[in-house]
Amino acid sequence: MHRYPRWPIHLALCLACFVMLIPIYWVVKTSITGENIFAYPPSLVPRNPQPFFYVDAWYAIPFPWFFFNSVIVALMVILANLLFNAAAGYALTKHFPGKRWIILLFLACMMIPFHATIIPAYLITAELGLLNSRLGLALPAFSHIICIFIFKASFDAIPPSLIQAAKIDGVPEWQIMLKIMLPLAKAAVATNVILSFIWSWNDFLWPLIIIRDVEMQTLPLGLSTFLAYFEDTTGALYAFCVMVLAPGLLVFLLAQKEFIQGLTSGARKG
Amino acid sequence: MGALKGWLLHRVTITFAVIALIVVGWNAYVAAHDDGILEGVVVDPSGEPVPGAEVVLSERTIVSLAPIATTTTDGQGRFRFERHNRHALVLNASKPEVGQSGRVEIRLYFRNQNRELEVPVRLEPAG
Repeated sequence: MHRYPRWPIHLALCLACFVMLIPIYWVVKTSITGENIFAYPPSLVPRNPQPFFYVDAWYAIPFPWFFFNSVIVALMVILANLLFNAAAGYALTKHFPGKRWIILLFLACMMIPFHATIIPAYLITAELGLLNSRLGLALPAFSHIICIFIFKASFDAIPPSLIQAAKIDGVPEWQIMLKIMLPLAKAAVATNVILSFIWSWNDFLWPLIIIRDVEMQTLPLGLSTFLAYFEDTTGALYAFCVMVLAPGLLVFLLAQKEFIQGLTSGARKG
Repeated sequence: MGALKGWLLHRVTITFAVIALIVVGWNAYVAAHDDGILEGVVVDPSGEPVPGAEVVLSERTIVSLAPIATTTTDGQGRFRFERHNRHALVLNASKPEVGQSGRVEIRLYFRNQNRELEVPVRLEPAG
């Protein structure tokens, strides 16, 4: 029994959902109707929906190739993030000299936008000979500081007695992390997967800078190529946008429960 | 065994399995229907088949219209194109003493899709 009626909250949430979902609905609707976005009066219901704009978008540019590149880069980024962030997060649960300074350094680095470090990142990638390659695309996204803190918060919530028991049994540190900490931090793993996937999938600036060949382009770069080649392509353009957005939405929807848990795990410590 | 069952019935596994099934099924369908055969009938204003009409097949890109093949209808007014290798097409038919058709837009779900036109291409007298 609630003390106050809940319908005002639900109404407000419904309104917020409506405001947030309308642009997505509009993109999907335009992708199947090709209606000009500035058409007046606007129609809420799709008129003469058909899937052929998706076919146009598929063949207008090498979509499967761009998709393949995006998937390979996203997989590399996800695996690297899980490995490096989990290791760093686990290390930060330990007590060692200078830990406070390292955390402060991480926090300070979070405040520097990627755009400010893009020239050094480019020079390092060039020195490594990774320009115009998938590994070069993935390299700067191999670790995200916010994800390190998500792992740290999740590991902090695990009772220390578990780790002590494992140590008494002679389990090495890497096995403690792999077999005890990570299975208990599924929410942090899911959060890392979602965040690193979405950031990698949507990244535009870095691929724009280091990629020269069409066959190395990822989907967001393909979208800009699409725009550059064709102008009067409302339906196909929006269809392409949906095809770029769909995998990110799918990954988020599949792991949203763990994602929310991961983001709030620090608040439930103890 | 329980862990394997749990893993198999997990929503992520099921979702990606369904996607994989759809992709495999779609590719099998495409492989079985991608001879690029486009067939139809040309008729005159009274609905009678027109032998010897010239049929021009053009590709409709996002910005242009380019002829890619031409053929002539047989004794039953039928025409047939093969291996057009396009997904957005426009068809025109004409015969000097009968007339010409309007543009017939043909949209396909994939390149080279086989398609038989359900509606005949109708020639109309010029003017």
